[in-house]
Amino acid sequence: MKQMTEAQLSELEQDLNAIRNDVLADLGERDARYIRRIVRLHRTLEVGGRVMMPFGFIPPVFVAATAALGLSKIIENMEIGHNVMHGQYDWMNDPSLHSQTYEWDTACSSESWRRTHNYEHHTYTNIIGKDRDYGYAVLRLSDDEAWRPRHSLQFINYILLSTFFQWGVGLHELEIERLHRREITLKSKLPFLKEFFRKGGRQAFKDYVFFPLLTLPVAPIVLAGNIGANLIRNLWSSTVIFCGHFTQDAETFTEEECWGNGKSESKGHWYLRQLSGSSNFTGSRWVHLLSGHLSFQVEHHVFPDLPAHRYPEISERVKAVCDKHGIHYNTGNFARQYGTVLKRIAAFSLPDRLRARLPALNVGQAT
Amino acid sequence: MLALQKHRAPLQWLGRQLFNRDDGVAFFDPLLERINPMWVQEYTPARVQRIIRDTADTRTFVLKPARRWQGFAAGQHVNICVEIDGVRHQRTFSLSSSTTLWHEQGLVTLTIKRLPGGRVTNWLHDQLKAGAVVGLSEAFGDFLLPEPIRPILFIAGGSGITPILSQLKTMAVQGFRAPVTLLYFVRDHDHAIAGEHLENLAASHDLLSVKVITTQGSSEPRYLTDADLGAITDLRSRDVYLCGPQGLMTLAGELLDARGVEREKIHSTYFAAPQTDLCSQDLGGKVRFARSNLDVDSTGDAPLLEIAEAAGLTPQHGCRMGICHQCSCRKTSGTVVNRLTGQASGPGEDTIQLCISIPQGPVALDI
Repeated sequence: MKQMTEAQLSELEQDLNAIRNDVLADLGERDARYIRRIVRLHRTLEVGGRVMMPFGFIPPVFVAATAALGLSKIIENMEIGHNVMHGQYDWMNDPSLHSQTYEWDTACSSESWRRTHNYEHHTYTNIIGKDRDYGYAVLRLSDDEAWRPRHSLQFINYILLSTFFQWGVGLHELEIERLHRREITLKSKLPFLKEFFRKGGRQAFKDYVFFPLLTLPVAPIVLAGNIGANLIRNLWSSTVIFCGHFTQDAETFTEEECWGNGKSESKGHWYLRQLSGSSNFTGSRWVHLLSGHLSFQVEHHVFPDLPAHRYPEISERVKAVCDKHGIHYNTGNFARQYGTVLKRIAAFSLPDRLRARLPALNVGQAT
Repeated sequence: MLALQKHRAPLQWLGRQLFNRDDGVAFFDPLLERINPMWVQEYTPARVQRIIRDTADTRTFVLKPARRWQGFAAGQHVNICVEIDGVRHQRTFSLSSSTTLWHEQGLVTLTIKRLPGGRVTNWLHDQLKAGAVVGLSEAFGDFLLPEPIRPILFIAGGSGITPILSQLKTMAVQGFRAPVTLLYFVRDHDHAIAGEHLENLAASHDLLSVKVITTQGSSEPRYLTDADLGAITDLRSRDVYLCGPQGLMTLAGELLDARGVEREKIHSTYFAAPQTDLCSQDLGGKVRFARSNLDVDSTGDAPLLEIAEAAGLTPQHGCRMGICHQCSCRKTSGTVVNRLTGQASGPGEDTIQLCISIPQGPVALDI
């Protein structure tokens, strides 16, 4: 991470606050109209997908229905749920778009998500040992963690995680690695597990029991389509999220860097960490919409509670602030960024000595 | 009501399973609203039929609520919900029409005075047009006529006449069965709301007498006097209804007390003219944690999260720096200042972040 003095950090903080304040002062009807339009699009796709699905014995209808339902889940999770739960639309004072009451269409309960994502991940971003989103306790993605034999097959784990992503996210708060190390007891996780079975059960019931049974004669078709829609959502959201922090130049941090000498981290340093630990990818308007604007992960991480559709318009200003302070603004096209993510997963599955001998697998921070 | 809830329990269950919300039908609101705004399920919609100019700064809005609205008793209030520049605002107003108008024509009226600097009342006067749809709560309030009817003295000031108008109009339809006197204090005759209507009512009903008193008519302000009460026949046998500015209410209370009118016979309702958004920086004030039934004082040097914790509460929270929205909660009344932006909130119901909100005067929270 770039070394900056407290004075420089304070200037960085002011520069970014200025951008944030300009957006806050301008929030209003345009943002409300945007999110309502997206909500309407979601409802249309979900209703359309569910209505078409029983007619899926006609192959093109099956494809259309599965795609519509998959897209509806992607839009609901990425552009509506994730962003609403960040409090991006709390100012609208609309109970159906409120961060503390919104419940989204995935196995993870909103409450668990707000604890593990909004609080842990966004506060301790990329601090090894503190940000459990870094590798999801399954993958070794930097040499901060010592290599173990089990890491050699982690590419398979990655594919499994992506395929069943909603369940992985749902179980994230179980802290399986800490249970394994006996730092916590299973008993302390019982309330969480209860919540997980309630919410996860509800999601499974809806897609894999209720709607198939509702149209019994074609139940297998509806079941297959619903599984397909969930799979599409799982693969896409996992891919987008991996591109946010695991690309080649996305940095990791140590607790010492952030809280050395027992002092608390300044807001300026927190900003610096968000800028250095996140990465964007470029794409069309639709790519940004379907990624919930996490294609602007850098902007999202400095301003997690600004309406996400604002990120494209402030990205030039954020980049200018980065340039001014000599901070790398990490962006690139989707294929390049995702390619470096895959390379990182592959590279760190190998022991460090072996990895060093393969220049093709050289990944950013491998120091 | 209980039967209704029982009937709804399975629906609520299904709503949670399929749409992750208790009000499952409201899931379709974004689509229903486009077809017909009166079909919205989340709140009771009411269409503005007509807008009548009463005085220079007062208008009467004739509303047609959706049929499922449950009606009201004369003297009750409703909350109306309007969206201004993307933000939903709720304000309480008294219904000013007779209950007969609702029963026979399905209409209700709100008589609303423009408050200087008031965001909602000015918007209602300037922007709301016939044909638009607003949200309406069920009616509430216990400023109700005696059952069976007894002799009454009404004392009203300014726009405090509105609930009394509803009561007089309702009694007029049913025929007055006991003497009723109205003392109505207004700045000058141009400011008398429904002045002509009141005179007509008095002219056609022997048991009703109306006295409109102008406070600014001469060089000396003319307020309620003991002589005004002395002129009322059988004062002590009457139920007294007070509605108006704080000064009038206090004065009336004292004078009635001196005349030996029993406290139980005095009914009053405050139309608390909301403190307009003037932002003098005098911070601190009494904080009410409604759900915990706890009141504490604050001096303005700490945000609400710390005040709550100092009082022994453990509200949900996360980053303590305004990022993660874990501590967002409902403020039911009062003004808070955001310590990051220095901006004051509105006085009404609102979502705030506890960790960065400092009370400015008394504040009530739903925690």
